[in-house]
Amino acid sequence: MQREVGTLPLAPALRARLAAAGFQTAQELLDTGPCGLSKEIGISREEALEALQVVRQECHGDAARPAGGSGATRKYTALELLEEEQSQGFIITFCSALDNILGGGVQLTKITEICGAPGVGKTQLCMQLAVDVQIPECFGGVAGEAVFIDTEGSFMVDRVVDIAAACVQHCHLIAEAQQEEDHQKALETFSLENILSHIYYFRCRDYTELLAQVYLLPEFLSEHSKVRLVVIDGIAFPFRHDFEDLSLRTRLLNGLAQQLIIIANDHRAAVVLTNQMTTRIGQSQSTLVPALGESWGHAATVRLILHWDNSQRLATLYKSPSQKESTIAYHITSRGFRDVQPPAVTHSTEGTELNPRKRPRAEEEKQ
Amino acid sequence: MVVLRAGLCPGLTEDMIQLLRANGIRTVVDFVSSDLEDVAQKCSLSYKALVAVRRVLLAQFSAFPANGADLYEELKSSTAILPTGSPSLDQLLDSGLYTGEVTELMGAPGSGKTQVSLGIAASVSLGLKQHVLFLDSTGGFTASRLYQMLQAQTEDEEEQARQVLGRLRLSFVLQLEALQRIQVVRVFNIYELLSALQELRDRLSQQVVSSTGPLKMVLLDSVSAVIYPLLGGRQSEGLALMMQLSRELKMLAREFSLAVVVTNQVTRDSSTGPLKPALGRSWSFVPSTRVLLESKEGSTQRAASLAKSPRQPTGMQVELDIG
Repeated sequence: MQREVGTLPLAPALRARLAAAGFQTAQELLDTGPCGLSKEIGISREEALEALQVVRQECHGDAARPAGGSGATRKYTALELLEEEQSQGFIITFCSALDNILGGGVQLTKITEICGAPGVGKTQLCMQLAVDVQIPECFGGVAGEAVFIDTEGSFMVDRVVDIAAACVQHCHLIAEAQQEEDHQKALETFSLENILSHIYYFRCRDYTELLAQVYLLPEFLSEHSKVRLVVIDGIAFPFRHDFEDLSLRTRLLNGLAQQLIIIANDHRAAVVLTNQMTTRIGQSQSTLVPALGESWGHAATVRLILHWDNSQRLATLYKSPSQKESTIAYHITSRGFRDVQPPAVTHSTEGTELNPRKRPRAEEEKQ
Repeated sequence: MVVLRAGLCPGLTEDMIQLLRANGIRTVVDFVSSDLEDVAQKCSLSYKALVAVRRVLLAQFSAFPANGADLYEELKSSTAILPTGSPSLDQLLDSGLYTGEVTELMGAPGSGKTQVSLGIAASVSLGLKQHVLFLDSTGGFTASRLYQMLQAQTEDEEEQARQVLGRLRLSFVLQLEALQRIQVVRVFNIYELLSALQELRDRLSQQVVSSTGPLKMVLLDSVSAVIYPLLGGRQSEGLALMMQLSRELKMLAREFSLAVVVTNQVTRDSSTGPLKPALGRSWSFVPSTRVLLESKEGSTQRAASLAKSPRQPTGMQVELDIG
C-alpha cells in the first residue's frame, strides 16, 4: 500500500503542507497518527483526524477490492459484461427505423445526446421516451420510471397525455391479438394516470440549479430504484448565454458529464440529453454543428443529429460504440414519434406545403 | 524528501533524531549532504554511528547508474512488440505496440478511438493469448461490439482450415476464453483511476498468480475524460494530478513491461482554429507515440497519421477500416 500522498483526495493546501513536511506515502501518514500529524504540519487535531480517515478509506478500499469487492468496484471481465449487455433491455422509440439504427433502441447505462435545429422534434422524442420507458416487460419494454429535467420550459403535459394514450392503445391491440395472461395483468397497471404519475418532473432555471439537481440525483435515484431514464431537455440552454469564462464552462460541463456517466452506470439508467445547434463559419461556407464546443462532443456515448431535408425530418446516427453511421427518416404525428409511412398511404399532406416547420394539425389521425 | 524517522534504518534511534532535528537536519537529503564530523561534534553523537547510518541510507535511497550496454541487453530481452491486429496500423507503429512505452490515440468524436482500442484488445487477447486490462472512463465499452470483432478475427484464421467441423465449436471456445482474458474496470474520476492503477501495481509486484495471469497491455479510454474536469481556471491542482497519472502510467509500463495505450480528445483554440490534441503541452511529453485518427465523410474508413514517434518519420499516413 505504497500509495503516494499526491494521489489521495485531500485538499490542495493540506497536500502542499504534507509535501513540505516530507511525507511521501500513505503508509507514513497512517503510522504517524493524528497527534503526531497535527504537530508536524501545524493543523488542528480534528483536521488531522479527518484527513487520516480519508486516507484510511482510500487504502482500505484498495485492499478490499481484490477480495471480491463491494458494489463500488466496477471490475468485470468482458465475458461478464457481454452477458449483462445481452440481457439488458432497450427503450424503444416507436419508430422502428430509428430503433434499428440504434441497435434496438436507446441503450441503458449510456448517455445518448440528441442534437437538432429548433422545431425538429427533440422534445417530442424525449417525451416519447419518457412514456416508452414505462412499457411493461411482457410487451418488450423495461418497465421503469422516468425523470424529466426541463431547463427550457418546453414540457407540455397535454402532449404527453396524447402520446401516453396512443401507447396504451397500442398495447391493448397487442394484448387482444395475442391473448396471454401476463399481458392482461400488465395492462391493469399500465394506464394513463399511472404513466403520468411515474414521470418525475424537475424545472431548472439556470446552470447552478441544473448542477445542483444532477448532484442530488443519485440520492433521488436510490430512493426511486425503478427509474430507468433520466432526460435533461436542454443542456445547452443554461450554458450558452451569459457565460464569460469559457474555460469554467468547459470544466463544469465535463464534470457534469462524468457525474451523469456515474449515474447511468450505477443505477442502470439511460441518460438522454438534448443539445442545440450552432453555426461554424468556415473558410468558404458555414455549417451547423452541435453547440457547447468540441470537448462536449466526447461526453455523450451515442450522438444522434436530427435535421431537415426540405420538408422531411431525418435522423443521423453520428457517433456510436457499436453501430454504423446511418440516416433514416421519421415522422411526428399526433400519436407521437413514428416511422414514415410509405408514400401510397398518405393522402392528407396539403397542410405541409404551407409551412414545413409547423406540425400539421388534425388530419393525420387514422392512417 | 524523506523525513528521518526512527526505524528507517538500524542505528537510527529516536534520541538521535531529536538531536539531529534540533540542529536543523530533518530529511535524508540533509543528513547525507552534511559534514558528518561537524554533526558529530554539534550533536555529541559518535562519528562511527553516523557513518554507518549514512551508508545504509545511501544504499536505500539513492539511484545507481547503469551501463548503457547492460541497459540495451535488458531492453532487448524484456521488450515485446504486440501486433494490433490491423496491418496498416502496425506499419504506422513500426510493426506494433512496444511494451515499456505509452502510446496515444487521439481524434474527434466519432473518429474511431474506442473502436481501434477495442480492436487492439481483441487482437492481443485472441491472437497472442495475453491478458488485457481495459480502463473505461467514458462508458463507451460495448462488449457486444468486442464480441463481433473477435468473431471477425477468428473467421480470418478459419479461412485456412474450414474443413474440420469441430473447428466451429473450437472457435466459440476460443472467443469465450479471449473475452475472459480482458478485464474491464470502470473508473469515472481521477482518484478512482489512480487507485485502480495502484491496485494493479500491488498485484503485479506481488506476482499473484490469479485468474488475471500474465498482463501485457493496459488500455485507458479516455484519459481526457477524467482530467478535463480538473484543468483550467486558476487551479494548478489539475496539472499536478495529471502529472502524477503520467508518472504512474510510465512506471507501470517500464517496470512491468506493459504496453500502455491511452485515448485522448482533440480540441480547438477558437471556433475556427485547427484541431489540436487536448490536455495541452505538458501532456504532449508523456506518450512516446501519438496517432491522430480522422474520419472521412460517410464511410467506415479512417485516416490515421503519425503525429509523434521515436522511430518513424512523422506525417506518415495510413487508412484503417473500422467497419
